[in-house]
Amino acid sequence: MHRLSTLLIGILLVFLTSWAGVVAYSSFQLGHLDPVADADTGGTLPPNLRGDAIAGQRVYAAEGCVACHSQQVRQTSVTGTDIARGWGVRPSVARDYLRDSTAFLGSTRLGQDLSNVGVRLPDAKWHYRHLYHPGSVSEGSIMPSFSHLFEVRKIQGQHSDEALDLMGADAPKAGYEVVPTADAKNLVAYLLSLRHDYPLPEAPVKKSEKNDKGAGASK
Amino acid sequence: MSDTILSHHHDPESDGAKAACIDASVRTPVLLLFGNALHWLVVAAFLALLASVKLVAPGFLGGVAFLGYGRLEAMSRDLFLYGWASQAAIAAGIWLMARFCDRTLGGVLLRTLINSAVVLWNLAVLLGTLAILAGYSTGVEWLEYPNWASAMLFLSFLMIGIWVVCLFDRRAGIESGARAETALWYLVAGFCCFPWVYGTANLLLTWKPLQASAQGAVQGWFCNGFLILWLLPVALGALYGLLPRLSGQHLNRRNLAPLGFWLLLFFGGWAGLARLIGGPIPAWMTSAGVVAGVFFLIPILIVMINLFGLRKGGNEEGTTVWQFLRGGLAFVLAAGILGAFTALPGISAFARFTGVTASVDLVWLLGAVSFPLFGVIYLALPSLLGRECWCASLSGLHYWLTFAGIGLLAVLLFLDGLVAGLALLDPVVSFLNITSYVQPFHVLESAARLLLLAAAVIVAANFTRALAAERLFPKK
Repeated sequence: MHRLSTLLIGILLVFLTSWAGVVAYSSFQLGHLDPVADADTGGTLPPNLRGDAIAGQRVYAAEGCVACHSQQVRQTSVTGTDIARGWGVRPSVARDYLRDSTAFLGSTRLGQDLSNVGVRLPDAKWHYRHLYHPGSVSEGSIMPSFSHLFEVRKIQGQHSDEALDLMGADAPKAGYEVVPTADAKNLVAYLLSLRHDYPLPEAPVKKSEKNDKGAGASK
Repeated sequence: MSDTILSHHHDPESDGAKAACIDASVRTPVLLLFGNALHWLVVAAFLALLASVKLVAPGFLGGVAFLGYGRLEAMSRDLFLYGWASQAAIAAGIWLMARFCDRTLGGVLLRTLINSAVVLWNLAVLLGTLAILAGYSTGVEWLEYPNWASAMLFLSFLMIGIWVVCLFDRRAGIESGARAETALWYLVAGFCCFPWVYGTANLLLTWKPLQASAQGAVQGWFCNGFLILWLLPVALGALYGLLPRLSGQHLNRRNLAPLGFWLLLFFGGWAGLARLIGGPIPAWMTSAGVVAGVFFLIPILIVMINLFGLRKGGNEEGTTVWQFLRGGLAFVLAAGILGAFTALPGISAFARFTGVTASVDLVWLLGAVSFPLFGVIYLALPSLLGRECWCASLSGLHYWLTFAGIGLLAVLLFLDGLVAGLALLDPVVSFLNITSYVQPFHVLESAARLLLLAAAVIVAANFTRALAAERLFPKK
C-alpha cells in the first residue's frame, strides 16, 4: 500500500460493507414501509398523527427529552423486562415509527420508556402537572421542571378551563393562574399520541394482553 | 526536541531545519485548532458538570428554559465531539501528516483556504451550540446541530481533509516504506471516513430525513462509525507514529499491522449495531453487530502486540507526552475489552440504557481518543513554537486529574449501571425506587465531573499561557 489509490480503494471497499449493509439496506427496505389497514376502524395502522402532536415532536426534540427517555420496547427474545414493567404490550417494530419525523429511540433510561405513555397515562391534566413540577405527582422523580412551558397570568374574569390544578408551594398567588403555553399543549398531545398497543402483522398483540394494558401504570 | 524524532533522515542538522520549516508552514491552523479545541473542552466539561448536578438536584437552575437537562446534555456532548475531539483530531492529523510525510503546507491560496476552514468550523460549533440552547436541536443523538450548522462542519472538513489525504501520495521516502507507514494508513482512513460517515448520517437524518422507520439503524451506525472509523483511527495514527519514534524501537511483529488495520475498519463499521439489540431494526443486523463487536477485539489485540512492548520513552520517558500516549494505549485496550464484553447479548440485555453503556463510551471518548490527542498537543506545541513552553507542574497535574476523573467516573457509571440494570430486571421494584438506588452514584459522579472540569481548565490555561507571548500571524 505505497500508493494513495491502492489505500483508498481498500478503505472504500471495507467501508462499503457496513455502509451498504446497514445504511443502504435500511433506506431501501425500512425506508419504504407502508401503513397497514385497520380492520376495526377502517383507518390505517399506525394511525396518523394530529397536527398538534406533530408540532409536539419539535418540542420533544428541542427540550432534549431523548437524553433520558427511550421510545422502544425490546424484543422478548432479548429481555422480557420492558413488557413486564408495563412499558408496552408487544415489542416495537420499525413500522411503529412510520408517522414520526424523527425516531426518538433513545439510548439512556434515566427516566421511563415512553413508547406507550399515552396508554399508561392518558390524562392530559396529569401530564401538565407533571411537566410543571414532576415531584408533585411522582414523588422522588429526578425529572427537571418544565415550568417554562407554562404561563402564570392574572385571572381575567373567569378561571380558565386550562388552568392547572396546583396545590401547596406550586400554587400561584391569589388572583393568578398557571396555564400551558402552545408548546406545552403540543408536547402533551404528542405524548398522548404515543400508544403502540395496536397489532401489526409483524407484531401481533394477544387479546388477553390487550385487555391488561395499563395494568402496570406509572410505577 | 521533537525535531529529530519525527523525521526519518539521519542527518540531525538538516532534519531540524526541515522540521522547523514544516512546522512554520502549518503553525497557524494547528495552533488555532488546538487552542480552540481546548477551550471548547472547558465549556463542554462545565456544561456536563451542570447537567450532572441537575440529576442530583432537579430544581437547580429550574425554570430556565435554555438550561434544561436535555439541552445541557446535548450541548455538552456535541461540544465534546465537534468542538474538542474532532477539532483536535483534525489538528493532530495536519501536523502529524505534514511531519511524517515531510511536506510543507505551501501556497498562499491553500493556507488561506485552510485557515478559513478553521474559522468556519468554529463558527459552526458556536452557532450549532447556540441553536441547541435556543431550542432548535434536531433531537437526533450526536447530531443535534441544525442542518445548516452540520453542513458548515462538513464543508469545513472537506476544505482541510482533502489536502491531508493527498499528502500521502506526496510523501518523502514513498518507495522506501518509511517507518510511519502504519500511522499514515490510520490517519488517511480516519480522514476519508469522516466525510462519509458524517455526510451520510446528516443526509439521511437531518438534511433530507429518511422515513423514521429506517432511522434507528442509521443512528446506531453513525455513533459507532464516528467513534471507531473517524476518531479512533486518528488516535491510533498518533500512537503508531509517535510511540516507535519516541522509544527508538520498531513495531513488534510489524507484519501483523496491515491485518490489524483492515480488521479494525471492517469490524468497526458493524460493531456498534450490537448496541441496538432487541430494538426495532432487523434481527440479523444486531446479530452481525454482536459478532463484529466481539471480533473487534482481534484488531485491538494486534495494536497491543505492535505497540505495548515499546516501553522505553527515550528522551520523552516520564514526560507528560509519554504518559498520555502510554495511557491512551492502555485505554484503547480497556475500551476494546469493555466494548466486546458489553456486546454479548446476555450482558447488553440488562446493561443497555444504563450507566454501563455511558461508562464504555466515556472510556472510548475520554480515554482511548482524548489521551493520544493530549499527547500530540504536548509534543506539538514546543515544536511549533520552537521553545519549551509548558509549565511542567501544570502538565503533570492535568495528567493526573484527567486520569483520576475518568477512572472515577467510569467506575461509578459502571456500578450505577449494574445496580440499575439488575434492579430493572425485577418488575416488582418500581422505577422510582431504582432511581433512588442510583442517586448516591449521581452525587459522586458530579464530583468526578468537577475533577474533569478542573483538568480541562488547567490544560487550557497552560496552553494559553504558553501562547501569550506569541504572535499568531508572524509579520513577513
